[in-house]
Amino acid sequence: MTPDTISSKIRTMSAVRQASDQLRFLRQNLSQRLPNIPGIPYIYISPFFILFGAFLLFPTVYTLYLSFFEYLGVSNDILLSVTMGPIEVAIPQMANLEFVGLSNYERLLFRDSLFHRSLFNTSFIFFIQVPLMVGVGLATALVLDAKFIRAKGLFRTLIALPVATGLVAYSTIFLLLFNDQVGLINYILTQVGVEPVAWLGSAWGARFTLVIAVTWRWLGYNMIILLAGLQTVPQQLYEAAEIDGASRWQKFRYVTLPQLRPVLLFVVVASTIGTFQLFSEPFVITGGGPSNATITIVQYIYQRAFESFDLGYASAASVILVAIVSVLSIVQIQYGGDE
Amino acid sequence: MRSQERKEALWKFGGYVFLLTLVALVMIPLYWMLVAATIPQSEFFAWPPRLLPGTEFLSNFRALQENVDFVRSMGNSIIISVSYTILSLILCSMAGFAFAKYEFRFKEPLFYFILATLVLPIQLLIIPLFLLMVQIGWTNSYLAVILPWAANPLGIFLMRQNMKAIPDSLLESARMDGATEFQLYYKIALPTMLPSLAALSIILFLNQWQAFLYPLVILQDPQMYTIPLALAELVGAQRVYFDQIMVATSLAVTPIFIVFLTMQQYFIKGILSGSVKQ
Repeated sequence: MTPDTISSKIRTMSAVRQASDQLRFLRQNLSQRLPNIPGIPYIYISPFFILFGAFLLFPTVYTLYLSFFEYLGVSNDILLSVTMGPIEVAIPQMANLEFVGLSNYERLLFRDSLFHRSLFNTSFIFFIQVPLMVGVGLATALVLDAKFIRAKGLFRTLIALPVATGLVAYSTIFLLLFNDQVGLINYILTQVGVEPVAWLGSAWGARFTLVIAVTWRWLGYNMIILLAGLQTVPQQLYEAAEIDGASRWQKFRYVTLPQLRPVLLFVVVASTIGTFQLFSEPFVITGGGPSNATITIVQYIYQRAFESFDLGYASAASVILVAIVSVLSIVQIQYGGDE
Repeated sequence: MRSQERKEALWKFGGYVFLLTLVALVMIPLYWMLVAATIPQSEFFAWPPRLLPGTEFLSNFRALQENVDFVRSMGNSIIISVSYTILSLILCSMAGFAFAKYEFRFKEPLFYFILATLVLPIQLLIIPLFLLMVQIGWTNSYLAVILPWAANPLGIFLMRQNMKAIPDSLLESARMDGATEFQLYYKIALPTMLPSLAALSIILFLNQWQAFLYPLVILQDPQMYTIPLALAELVGAQRVYFDQIMVATSLAVTPIFIVFLTMQQYFIKGILSGSVKQ
């Protein structure tokens, strides 16, 4: 190696080092500046918003739109066609629609007796279901929160186990359990000398079967939330109440209940929304029968939309369902929220 | 004092009776499922009903598999639920990270807008989603079931709440060391958020595993059925094959029970952070 080549090598090396120093400096500089680059957060949120817009916002608006139309079938007409070089985008028209104004709503609200029946059935289940589920859920949570109970974890796990069964899975279990001829429930009843009940064969029997099934499934869920709420109540409040000589009931009435209010409110609102969305239980256990005695609003919407393909009409029914649930939730929040 | 003690003992006794009754009521249907899944079809209509489990589980399973392709629907359910959970976790954690740790224009309105959609029942969306899937030719596809609910408003809310707990100084010092913005997300935010990711993933997985109405509308080819659809198919048949239904039901709930029992703390955490946290 000649001195010449050595010196040229050293020169290159120092140039490389300089370049890499410069790069490191640039990179550090860049990374410190990055938070101020306004694009970054948008890059993070855009995948979410693309799907959110396509599959949540657009369908919501489209339901509202559809509810003013009569649906005449899917059409293959192209609504918009764009050709840019090799890229061709064609958006087909969504459906063949005839504008009918408010007539869907008018028919649903004033002339559709099956819809009224589904409203009645759903409201009936709602009025029994929500007090029952919240009441028993609260009682269970109170017992599990009591100092004198051992093996709390085990009890909590077992009672919450149904939360993990799927809607259809537990519905089929209840279908069998409450079977009029071979079900275990009727067997137990006859063993204790009670006449077998036509659980699924009679209107009231079927309604109560649904109530029992739904309670079985959701009790543990409410219990877990209420139990967590109970554990946030400050112990000093109970101690202070004890010093004042409060009875068990007074402690519950003047300490527990007010402290638990927001959690209770959440449980009530969530149960209300859940009840109005009942579908798979009546679909599987009673099939809506006998003679539509247990048909729920969502089941009615499903039948209208996917059995008779009245998509516009079913959309109007969905909008009414949303309106009912929103009004109920707002009333509950107004009534149960902070005074 | 004596009466006070007696009163306490009475409360204690009453509490245990109440809890044991509830546990019995909860367990009877599950036990009955197990009995029904293991006895031969011929004994099904016996009176009195069989009360002890039998040994016919495998032959009942074979009959089930001949009737509906249950293994296939189990596979469909696994593919759909797992990919849905992963996709939704990525979308929600990324967006949640941005909402928790960056300042940008329209941040607040965008976030509250997402929260407002939490009140929409999914039933409202089913009709237009069905039309959309028909138009783009996606009915009977995995994508049609996976994509629509992946942008989960509840998920983004939970992620934002939890990621607020990541200290800013941690992110700053990583920046100093030359980490790129994206590395901040997947090298710092994701690993520190593992417990919340676990909680959210259980909720997402369960929702998709148990989903019924929407898959019922979108998946019409029995080859594409998920477990709940296969179960409902058995009930809807001319003759009700109770033994097969119960075999299928036990197979459908067993993996979920295992997940529930082993990851119970995360499950409860997920339910709770979805509710009581303000």
